[in-house]
Amino acid sequence: MIKIASVSLWLLIAGIAQAGDEDACTPAEDPSRIVVAGGSIAEMLYSLDAGGLIVAVDSTANYLPESKDLPSVGYVRNLSAEGILALKPSLILGEHDMGPAEVLSQISSVEVEVKRIEERHSTQGIVDKFVCIARVLDKEDAAREILASQFSDTVTSLEKANVLSADLPRAALILNFVDNQPIVAGANTSGDGLLRMAGAKNIFSDIEGWKPLSRELLIAANPEHLVVTERALKSIGGLEGMLSDPLLAATEALNADNVHVYAGMSLLGFGLQTLEVALSLKEAIE
Amino acid sequence: MQEGFSSQMGEAQGGVSTELKFFFLLVMCLASVLSALAVGGVPLSLLEIVRGEASKLDLTVFSQIRAPRVMLAATVGASLAVAGAVLQGFFRNPLADPGLIGVSGGAALGAVAMIVLGSSLALPVAFAPFTMPMAAIFGSLCVTGALYLFSNYYGQFRIVTVLLVGIAFNALSSVGIGIFQYISNDAQLRSLIFWMMGSFGRAHWVTTVPCVLAMVSAVLVLITKSNSLDKLQLGENEAFHLGVDVKATKRDLVLLSAICVGAGVAVSGIIGFVGLVVPHIVRFTIGVRHKPLMIGSALAGGSLMVLADLLARVVALPAEVPVGLVTSAIGAPFFLWLITKVKP
Repeated sequence: MIKIASVSLWLLIAGIAQAGDEDACTPAEDPSRIVVAGGSIAEMLYSLDAGGLIVAVDSTANYLPESKDLPSVGYVRNLSAEGILALKPSLILGEHDMGPAEVLSQISSVEVEVKRIEERHSTQGIVDKFVCIARVLDKEDAAREILASQFSDTVTSLEKANVLSADLPRAALILNFVDNQPIVAGANTSGDGLLRMAGAKNIFSDIEGWKPLSRELLIAANPEHLVVTERALKSIGGLEGMLSDPLLAATEALNADNVHVYAGMSLLGFGLQTLEVALSLKEAIE
Repeated sequence: MQEGFSSQMGEAQGGVSTELKFFFLLVMCLASVLSALAVGGVPLSLLEIVRGEASKLDLTVFSQIRAPRVMLAATVGASLAVAGAVLQGFFRNPLADPGLIGVSGGAALGAVAMIVLGSSLALPVAFAPFTMPMAAIFGSLCVTGALYLFSNYYGQFRIVTVLLVGIAFNALSSVGIGIFQYISNDAQLRSLIFWMMGSFGRAHWVTTVPCVLAMVSAVLVLITKSNSLDKLQLGENEAFHLGVDVKATKRDLVLLSAICVGAGVAVSGIIGFVGLVVPHIVRFTIGVRHKPLMIGSALAGGSLMVLADLLARVVALPAEVPVGLVTSAIGAPFFLWLITKVKP
């Protein structure tokens, strides 16, 4: 009796741990009704002309005009099992950080396929992610063709930039200003990856993660280039707001008019748009 | 304020008999559980499930997602409400709340530590579902233990010391949580924020059953202590002369409430106001004696939480609202209304 109980307990536990652990880049059994958790994945599905298969997206896909009429399953890290199942999906396609894990295991227990797509913050990472998603839909050839016809120059130029050199332009990426205090990209963030893709040196790579930074440190580090999201620029009152702040105005970046502004999701979503943003940034800082 | 409440109770108790009120509470509890089981994102019929005619999908949704969730919500609601009733009686303070003595804070600190550090502990995958509840219970037990040691420091278990030490531990837990928020990465920070808002969406039989058992046993033992708690209302010396082992009773009350709160926070995050508001409603309608108060609080707290969770599940379909927001949104205005009703 105890043995049966412990075996069934083990099976239950194994069931929780298993959800979405296997290789995700394989053809889905049935990709006819997809719930997408992750804006960049939705973006890539639209590029693959597979937008018609999407039945719902999460709130990180808000930047895509194509998906604005679709139901939203909430935030990528706060999904709800029953809400998603009510849409009768055949496949859940999500970013590496979708969650909570318990909700995904609940979804797998109803035998709905869950695929978690790996994300690496590099040019090759974006290409691999695109090909991976195409494989799930059995559209690898189409993906290769899109990459070859539309992105081969971009990828080649970006790969060239990625060579480590001693005197790369020194840049900082600001996600937002909270009470005039900048939140900057440290090591192991999408922002750090983007700066490397564009051939810039992240002056805050010795900080881990996204961190609020004292404005004094920003002046001391004196970046030659500032990459900011549209939201960050708005929160500090536009370029005039930055210039009217004596500390910010003292940086080389503002003196030389080297403030580069991009929409947050195209900048940090690591979909195909990010390739173009990275190239435009690379050309701007060279 | 206590006197104000009591005299109001006297008036409120006239008319309908207590048995009828309990019957009404029981019906309300059953009705809310049944409606929570019947309503949700996936349309399914309870009748078909009972008859065994439901499709496999409906059956799995019912048994793996909805049933554990409703059971967890009912138990956590009951256990937070009973813990609130006990602590309000214990501190002889109508504002006492499970959060007040630092136990929720300790549990939250344990869980948050696990969200941030869990991945670097390299535990076997099989432990994954248990790590958060265990860490939360460990956190609440640490606070409870420390509470007990500190309060006994001067040779007696003084209520005001417990309260002050609890406030200090709450502050310490917020510092700890703040540190973990600071060192967490982007993804961890976002899960942490949602965890702090409370949800039953993570309910799973494996983690639900042990926590439910812990909470139900703690509530049942607390109910057996109701008589001593009544006598404690007269003051500690008076209770002692009425034959209550004051020291042991106080220790048991604090430890058992800590289990109620710790196990609840462990599986559902921080859910405010139920522990504060529900005992007041019950005191208002049923009376101040602790046995009916605790039983009534368990029933009312369970129903309220099940209904709040139902609302949280369906109001933004296919997304979900954190249940902690729903309970606070209902609880806070209700509390204000209650204050205007009880004139000093």
